Amino acid sequence: MDNMISQRSLEQMAARRDRSGSFWLIQALSGLVLVILLGTHMIAHHFIVEGGLRDYEQVLDYVSNPVIFTLEVLFVILGVAHALLGVRAIVTDMRPSAGTLRVVNWILAAFGIVAIAYGVYLAVALQRLAG
Amino acid sequence: MPDIQPTTDPARPKSSLRAWFDVRGRSISTLAFALNRLTAIGLTVYLFLHLAVLSLLLRGPEGWDAFLSIAKSPLFLTLDVVLLFGVVYHMFNGIRVALVGMGVAHRQQKGLFYGLVGIGLILFVVGAILIYTA
Amino acid sequence: MAEQMIEFKVSRYKQGQPGPTYQTFKMLCDENTTVLVALQDIRRDLDDSLTLRHSCHHASCGTCGMRINGKEELSCVVKVLELGTPVVTVEPMRNLPIISDLVVDMEPFYDRFNSVGLPFIRGSEFLEDAEIAEGLEAYGRYENCIECNLCMSACPIMGSDETYLGPATLAAAWRVVEEPRGLPVKPLLDWVDSENGCWRCHVAYECNVACPSEVYPGDKIMALRRQLTKRKFRGLFGK
Repeated sequence: MDNMISQRSLEQMAARRDRSGSFWLIQALSGLVLVILLGTHMIAHHFIVEGGLRDYEQVLDYVSNPVIFTLEVLFVILGVAHALLGVRAIVTDMRPSAGTLRVVNWILAAFGIVAIAYGVYLAVALQRLAG
Repeated sequence: MPDIQPTTDPARPKSSLRAWFDVRGRSISTLAFALNRLTAIGLTVYLFLHLAVLSLLLRGPEGWDAFLSIAKSPLFLTLDVVLLFGVVYHMFNGIRVALVGMGVAHRQQKGLFYGLVGIGLILFVVGAILIYTA
Repeated sequence: MAEQMIEFKVSRYKQGQPGPTYQTFKMLCDENTTVLVALQDIRRDLDDSLTLRHSCHHASCGTCGMRINGKEELSCVVKVLELGTPVVTVEPMRNLPIISDLVVDMEPFYDRFNSVGLPFIRGSEFLEDAEIAEGLEAYGRYENCIECNLCMSACPIMGSDETYLGPATLAAAWRVVEEPRGLPVKPLLDWVDSENGCWRCHVAYECNVACPSEVYPGDKIMALRRQLTKRKFRGLFGK
């Protein structure tokens, strides 16, 4: 009852392994952490203060707390990574050529780095304004 | 072992949007996938718009509080409720996709959908009421 | 037996046409008429140019797969009147080129199966109540999968990218991991740990619904992913 696959085929199969599983795991695990981070963020900014949305002073007051600052920075990093990995997955499902996918990877990576840098800069600037 | 070749069928050109979002006759899990993908696209667009709008905070209270007066208008509150639905659905179905996708509780994936998204919908209704009444 | 006149809206396509069109046929059906029998009657009595595949007529060969009212089914076991619609739409399976009418080119499907070493036979357990003939130590039986392609037709990811290995292939790969029977498992796991492999599944589980033969490809894809997740975490900790 033994089946056969040729040695050459086995070698070709083994060579197919790539990083896509790691990308998916990063997206899944970041998503699970984002449940806490985004949940906290939504509740804090929409539902706690009177009137719902925080005004300028209330935002500064919130971000001045070092724990909150850390959570918001982590939120930006994981949120942007999760979103852009998701965009990559959607693009991959449309079967782009290898060249197109490489360009998409670079664009998403660059966009992500800029977005995260801007988000962190914003958080630091607000914390400084809060004194 | 040759590469899997794309099958070109001139009679039926590929349409990604139809493949993902035409849910007629499909099961609840495919509906779940379609809505997850739709909310993902919406939330991604929102995320970057939101990051851009937050730059108003750097203009001081005048810049931010002026924006707040628009953000508390009925139209914006309704958009907020739509955003809340997207967040809640994507979050709770996302928990299911993450767990099932790692092979955890995958035989109970349908129950997980009803349970988790059910909890999410309750939270959504509560949140929507709070948004409108705050 | 109560009979009912049913309208069949059948997808028609011949090579050279720009795309499929629909042709309507009316057939009298009773409570035992299956979609396959109705189509064969249409071919015999109304239009002998209608092409379709069939063989065993009892859901064990997987030949007669098609879409009936938008859903992937084996037409030999779908009773027309149980569908409950006065119009029954019949279309070929998705994601494979149409050769003619309801017949699709199955070669891309079989090519994938060849890649996993054609795991058709597996070991089976003895039933508790069975009287075992003397000298018998083990049973063999055919794998559940009847290679009907319904899961591959139903998969929304196959719908946008047919280079995805797909539920049937991945389910067959998992069966080899579960029961290697002399085949090396690591190269197969490496093969599915790839862009077109098991990570492309987005948990739609339409394959589980479409499968007529208790393969549950969706569950098998997740079993592969559990195995690969454990492998990745073990790799992170240097084991």
